[in-house]
Amino acid sequence: MSTVQLDADTTQLTVEHLYAQGWSDGLPLVPATQPLVDRFLGVAGRAADEIIGHMPQVDRSVTVELAAINAAMAGCRPEYFPVVLAAWEALMNERAAKGGGWQSTSGPSPLIIVNGPIREELGLNSTGGVFGPGFRANATIARAIGLIVRNVFGVHPHELEQATQGLPGRWAICIGENEEDSPWEPLAAERGVVGNAVTTTLLRTCEYVDNRHTTDAEQLLSDFADTIGRSGSWIFRHAMAGIVFCPEHAQLLAAAGFSRKDVAAWIAERSGRTTDQLARAGKDSAAEGVRVPGDNAVPRSFQHTFAPGADAQMLVAVAGSRTAGISMVVRYFADWSGIPVAITTGATQ
Amino acid sequence: MPNAILDPTGRASAAPTSSRGPLAARRGDLAGLRVGLLDNTKHNAMLFLQEVGTLLVARHGAASVSIVETKASFSIPVDEDIVSRYKEACDVVVTGVGDCGSCSAAAVADGINFEHAGLPAAVVITDAFLTTGSMMAEVQGQPDYEWITTEHPMASLTPEEVRDRAERLLPQIVDSLARVAS
Repeated sequence: MSTVQLDADTTQLTVEHLYAQGWSDGLPLVPATQPLVDRFLGVAGRAADEIIGHMPQVDRSVTVELAAINAAMAGCRPEYFPVVLAAWEALMNERAAKGGGWQSTSGPSPLIIVNGPIREELGLNSTGGVFGPGFRANATIARAIGLIVRNVFGVHPHELEQATQGLPGRWAICIGENEEDSPWEPLAAERGVVGNAVTTTLLRTCEYVDNRHTTDAEQLLSDFADTIGRSGSWIFRHAMAGIVFCPEHAQLLAAAGFSRKDVAAWIAERSGRTTDQLARAGKDSAAEGVRVPGDNAVPRSFQHTFAPGADAQMLVAVAGSRTAGISMVVRYFADWSGIPVAITTGATQ
Repeated sequence: MPNAILDPTGRASAAPTSSRGPLAARRGDLAGLRVGLLDNTKHNAMLFLQEVGTLLVARHGAASVSIVETKASFSIPVDEDIVSRYKEACDVVVTGVGDCGSCSAAAVADGINFEHAGLPAAVVITDAFLTTGSMMAEVQGQPDYEWITTEHPMASLTPEEVRDRAERLLPQIVDSLARVAS
């Protein structure tokens, strides 16, 4: 490699050429060539022409090779590609993604959570600044998914993509679970897939809960229940949310005896608003499914954010550093499958 | 020879989408025709369509509203099963209301699918979704496809306002379903 003369001038021309084709999400792309894409295919050990997704609205299909081209362009290294494929497969299992999610006015983003030793191998961040930038694997795996939707499905902003505002961090949210500082089993393992695996959902938004001074588990959970129960995010009879806990919050809860399931049950029981509170926002009636102004008939009755039994589909993960008690509420489409997908490589097949 | 840059879309070698052929023929009027309504599940869509159906029968001599269905998925265009049920049960279709990202695009595809089955269709979409409608028309090989545009939003209207809206759009809907192309 030391003999290769880097050619910045040609590189700049190449970058501009890729923009001119309409392939970019706004940031520079890596040009994909057959030798590079072949390395991606080699790591994945999958047939190049295998179809891994179809968008019925436009009758367009994604093959493993097209996914590899877009992953290469996103800046992934070949060894990231199995994670991209697992994330893609997990998303394709979601009704919200197969339906109108990519075109939606809500402008949702995949939330991609990675478990297993592959986090270390790829340098995938699971600790400080986990939702932010700075790590190639996190940034490019999430970006690859966005490029597949843009380029293969042809869903471009202002055209087939109709996000009203869209999500900050759309196509940029891929995190490792901080298994090392988590008091609980890895997320994917608890949901049935041990080892390297991706769990994903279609996110409507993230919002933080900063609570660093209570040592009481129920006070802490009350803070989350209040945020989860707010009316603004509620458009149908019920809504769904999960929590990506920082290690400090997770450990406090675990020390008080809370498992993931206990957290979900506690939150499901207490998150919501009274009919009166919802009436003030014109959302007290959900007789036809969509929340609309009603007659505020029983002002003090409590309406639960989660549908009965939905706590089983509450996503509870652990990520971030041990520096403060700051966690993230993650809101996603209500019919999340909750099913992780194992990350497989050519070598292990 | 440097390596070629690969195309990430998979459509570089595909032939440009060719036109799928003519739209359904119109008869000049609606007298005696059976009307089908296809609700795309969006709030107020069903009320709007039913009001249009009633007016088409009461004022324009349509025989009846003979089929009313609600789409299982607002974002997915109608398939052959649905189209053939409508083909069996009615002579013209009114559908909508496109009032969201994916459902507006899908409504345009629905209209085009009905047309190719020989059913004149009037598609109603709000004006916030013009571009996505055009993109879908292009994808469907019918770039000049026309639909009926109404002011956004539709979902927040009261029932009375929805009925007014139906009344106001009626001439355009009748025109779309009956006017013989010149």
